[in-house]
Amino acid sequence: MRQVNVNVHYVTRLEGHGNIILNAQDGKINELKWEVIESPRLFEAMLVGRNYEDVPHIASRICGICSIAHTTASIQAVEAAFGVQLSEQTLLLRKLLYDAELLESHVLHTLFLAAPDFLGVDSVMPLVETHKDVVIMALRLKKLAYNLAEILAGRKTHPLSCVVGGFAKLPDLGELKAVKKRLEDARADFDTIVNLFKTLKIPDFVRETEYIALKDPSEYAFISGQIASSDAGLTPLGDYLKITNEFCVPQSTAKYTKNKRDAYMVGALSRFNLNHDQLLPQAKKAAAELGLKAPNHNPYMITVAQVVEAVHALENTISTINEILAKGLKEEKNPIKVKAGRGVGAVEAPRGILFHDYTFNDKGLLTKANCIIPTNQNHNNIQKDMEALVPGILNQSEDEIRLRLEMLVRAYDPCVSCSTHMLRTSFKR
Amino acid sequence: MKPKVAFFDFTGCEGCQLDALNLSPEDFFDLVGVIDFVNFREVMTEKSDDYDIAFIEGSITRESEIPRIQKIRQQAKVLVAMGACACDGGVNCLKNHIPMDEALRIVYGKDAKYYDTMPARPVRAVVPVDYYVRGCPPVTAEFLKVVKALLVGKKPEIPNYPVCVECKMADNICAFERSTTCLGPVTRAGCGAICVTSGRHCFGCRGLVDDPNIDSEKEILQKYGLTVEQVLEKFKIYNTCSEVAK
Amino acid sequence: MAKNVETTAKPAPDVAEAKKLFTITRAGFKSMVDGLAKEMDIVGVKEKQGKFVYGKISSFDELRLDYDVTTMPPTRFLMPARETLLKFSTGNDPRFEPVVDTRPMAIIGVHPYDISAIAMLDKVFTSVNPDPNYIARRKNTILIAVDTLSPSSKSFANAMGTRIVEKGFDLLLTDIGTSYVVTIGSKKGADLLAKYAAPKEAAGNDIAMQKEVRDEALSKYTISLDIPKESLLKLLEENYDNPYWESRSKTCLSCGSCVMVCPTCFCFDVQDDVALNLKEGERFRRWDGCILADFARVATGENFRHDKASRFRHRIFRKGKYIFEKYGMAGCVGCGRCANACLAEIASPLEAFNAIAESARAKEAAARIMKEVRAQAELYVPQPAKLVKITTLGAKEKAFEFKLKSGKPLRHRPGQFVEISVPGIGEAPISVSSSPTRGDTFQLAIRNVGNITNAIHDLKEGAAVGIRGPFGNGFPLEAIAGKDLLFLCAGIGLFPLRSLIQYVLDKRDAYSRVIILSAARTPADMMFTNEQAEWSKRSDVEFLNTVDKADANWKGNVGVITTLIPKVKIDPRKTVAVVVGPPIMYRFAIVELKKRDIPDENIVMSLERRMKCGVGKCGHCQINGVYVCQEGPVFNLAQLRSLREAV
Repeated sequence: MRQVNVNVHYVTRLEGHGNIILNAQDGKINELKWEVIESPRLFEAMLVGRNYEDVPHIASRICGICSIAHTTASIQAVEAAFGVQLSEQTLLLRKLLYDAELLESHVLHTLFLAAPDFLGVDSVMPLVETHKDVVIMALRLKKLAYNLAEILAGRKTHPLSCVVGGFAKLPDLGELKAVKKRLEDARADFDTIVNLFKTLKIPDFVRETEYIALKDPSEYAFISGQIASSDAGLTPLGDYLKITNEFCVPQSTAKYTKNKRDAYMVGALSRFNLNHDQLLPQAKKAAAELGLKAPNHNPYMITVAQVVEAVHALENTISTINEILAKGLKEEKNPIKVKAGRGVGAVEAPRGILFHDYTFNDKGLLTKANCIIPTNQNHNNIQKDMEALVPGILNQSEDEIRLRLEMLVRAYDPCVSCSTHMLRTSFKR
Repeated sequence: MKPKVAFFDFTGCEGCQLDALNLSPEDFFDLVGVIDFVNFREVMTEKSDDYDIAFIEGSITRESEIPRIQKIRQQAKVLVAMGACACDGGVNCLKNHIPMDEALRIVYGKDAKYYDTMPARPVRAVVPVDYYVRGCPPVTAEFLKVVKALLVGKKPEIPNYPVCVECKMADNICAFERSTTCLGPVTRAGCGAICVTSGRHCFGCRGLVDDPNIDSEKEILQKYGLTVEQVLEKFKIYNTCSEVAK
Repeated sequence: MAKNVETTAKPAPDVAEAKKLFTITRAGFKSMVDGLAKEMDIVGVKEKQGKFVYGKISSFDELRLDYDVTTMPPTRFLMPARETLLKFSTGNDPRFEPVVDTRPMAIIGVHPYDISAIAMLDKVFTSVNPDPNYIARRKNTILIAVDTLSPSSKSFANAMGTRIVEKGFDLLLTDIGTSYVVTIGSKKGADLLAKYAAPKEAAGNDIAMQKEVRDEALSKYTISLDIPKESLLKLLEENYDNPYWESRSKTCLSCGSCVMVCPTCFCFDVQDDVALNLKEGERFRRWDGCILADFARVATGENFRHDKASRFRHRIFRKGKYIFEKYGMAGCVGCGRCANACLAEIASPLEAFNAIAESARAKEAAARIMKEVRAQAELYVPQPAKLVKITTLGAKEKAFEFKLKSGKPLRHRPGQFVEISVPGIGEAPISVSSSPTRGDTFQLAIRNVGNITNAIHDLKEGAAVGIRGPFGNGFPLEAIAGKDLLFLCAGIGLFPLRSLIQYVLDKRDAYSRVIILSAARTPADMMFTNEQAEWSKRSDVEFLNTVDKADANWKGNVGVITTLIPKVKIDPRKTVAVVVGPPIMYRFAIVELKKRDIPDENIVMSLERRMKCGVGKCGHCQINGVYVCQEGPVFNLAQLRSLREAV
């Protein structure tokens, strides 16, 4: 008679609040839940009636880690609704700003949130004693990415200078030049990270699912392109609802999404599977060294895919800055003409595809909003992963099972407080 | 004995806590050299309920959060509200203007009945707060200022003058002269006027100074082209829970 | 014999010869700036987002020395916004090490008023308790000044005596078009000039050109002090309790903009910042200002200047009195930055000085009037008058022409009023609508609104009434002589204003332009239409009229009276606006007139209040401390700023 009870209240090293519940008896699973309990923030209601200039400012506050992702998606939705044209300079600067957040977020997740599990510790704090150089490097890289975002947008969390139509203030070329040198020096740091991850044992687990991400013919997509699926072709952004198909599960009250299968995955692994041949050469090299080959169906490898993407983002920042320094920057005016309309903005947040869908009236006030967050779209897949994983590990100790489940959830790098559709469950024991 | 410090998050975006850790390696090691992080769910699994100083991020928006914050207040010798949501309610309060069931209906449609929420409020509406680190997000330097002040045993010198002072110190061109309007004249400084310096205007995220001349600010905003409604909308974003947005 | 060959390098001009002026070309100036840039940090005036700022200059072409005023003064480089004073270590044996910045720098493009400000700061920081930080910076800073060519519209440097300076700089350049006239202020300046700029001695016509350029700039100042600068001290001292401080500061945000942008402000706060390791730190100073709410607050919570009015007053007293008394130099240099920066538009010391001066004059004038009112044997007894003619003006309005039974003329001034009695009904105050230049009779235009006016409307020609007066101050005939006159008559505001218009037209040569803007609710409400038609036909009168609501026949302007104001060319330096109309009209009219920069003292209004005795006794007509029947009903806007109840 073996009882397995895993009850993790508020998983740690996670952005947001979530619980893992497992009750099994004699190899039979009675209850297995990935349960998300976040207070409803009600952003879609709060945005109604607001002026288009204030909308991205408020939408940014959906999340503190991926505020640049939300701001960018929000701005793009407004621009789509009003038909705003963007200059080449604006697109370059936006890409650079986006790479800054991607770098920071992936460094935070892989080194601060995920790595401790692989190194057998509870957090980065013990690593201060045992792996001091790694901690210094992680902090330095995080600060570097922060500084790059500051140069472009005033600050990284809830960025300022990026606005509908362009940039309210242009970065200083001298500062860009100086930060580029630090980025080039960071290449060595990423060699260290790749080498570190080569030594870590990634749990072996495979469950193929549908993979969804943005796809852009010209580059590895983060803020442009159409919706791509491993199971189907391309879908224009305006038809995103056909992909997401949000629905409620009767006993659990978290909203799920699914498309062609019973669930789908978004995030670094999806992006890698769909767009790996568009990675820059240095990132491809890192992927090869880390044993990451497309298509990969192991969710624990999401973290590895993030390392590969971080290398790609780093190289991208350097080449983008070179392009900006060569072309110079000039003040541009882009007056916005408001009109009634609807627009969808989609970006690849560090943890997956993010949609902001806005409708405006002819005074430029928002009448309707819908936001679908990446983590939202992963919940169903996490649940299905757990259901596939647990039977195979039930014979292990409770502690080991607990750790494997926590690592599984952490691997997705969830951003739970973003989840404007999340709610509290009241489940019965 | 290093003071034991804990971070807790309620309803918010968790950006404040992360920005607190936006430190250079030198500063990080200096910081852990003078305080002990004993509870920080976002980055640590180890945790302890024996802490001296609690930093609270996020506002209180649900019944279940009230006993949780009360327990923290009982334990902590010093409780610091961190970020606009904890200090003054933050953007979460925007939903307070909408009748609760209408808001739930807009977001969740027919499933609205599963959800519970209540008007968002700052931490001080539920338990006494000792210090504030304001802003959305707060400036890391001010977070460190409060930490250092707690460590040496003094009240941190947080400004009681408006953002205009810092704008002039930064030699910014006034937002009102750049065809936009600004809440700087009544908003508490301490952020270095970063939003104006970055090309925007002040949104009021640090809350009002102690004795703001709101009538004068409202008159000025109208003089620069805003209707009365638009003026109130401006204050609503971060200052709903104060009298001015009424 | 070898000819004496002149060496190309001239010796540096002797400072003793500093009175001599030199000229340099643009190229010479450029080579000086480029040369300086190689030796040290240089900042100069450049353009930013449509305004002018001091900033790092990397090339000569960035300089914009034709600027009117910078947002922040150059004093920010001598007293930075934040400056470390000392470093310390904590613990049982704390140490303190002073920190002084001695980096050399050059500031290019400093206007004379800022040079004056720096001279004042020099006095403050070097005379008593010399400040090592300021002194080190000042010693290592080269000041290259330039004459102001286009002053800011809010500048009153000419009034404060800071328009022209003869010392306090290293070099002063006057742009005379093709070259610069250079005044040398120091040996450093002389050396600099010789090293880089190839100076030539200024010729006679260069010097004449310098004077011309300066005079041209002088003509561009639009505002000035109404009193001699020297009388400011006494004036402020005597007006410490003037209600102006309270009324004017009502909209003050205590935002600090005025003190932050001011070149003569130097107050600062000092704070300690300990390092994270708690072992060391720095003590720094940063700008502070007396206008800020907590400036005078102590640790117990007591605030010695806790209200806006006292802080507002203190700042003006610093600028106009205290600094001069302490250091012997102007505390306000008239740069106009605070007036530009203040969102509530209350910061200008000039406006404060002039308003206080005006209220002092008004008090004096009131005292005079009190003594001058013609005493009647029996103060409250009316004298008999006969109604000689009635003219219908409108549905409820008639003009009544009276002659005093004594046969003597009323001897009134335009703008004065009489008290007209119908025995048994009562007595009412009515403005005189005709000019004293129009014979022995006088006209009262009256609208039927109450008991007495109703009774008057029932009178027939030949009837008898009682008349007391004339009362009140009337329009300021002396102040408007020779000026452009802009009359705004709205509705029955024409009734009192007509007396002045007739007077002015009867003495047309004593005045410059005469502009009449006339308005009524509808064409049927236009009063004295025939006379207005005559005014419009006169070639020496500019006449515009408008109605709020037109009828089928109206072919003219439609809109309120304020819509006419933008249609008129106005020279704010010599225009007096006289405005009479319904109370609601004054607010809007004032806004429009202020937009045209007409000074407060040149906006004249006639105010209505409840009046009874007409002789400053019964109390009903008071506005704050002033009796309208005695010191009014005509006021100018500067006076009204001190009367909180007025507008």
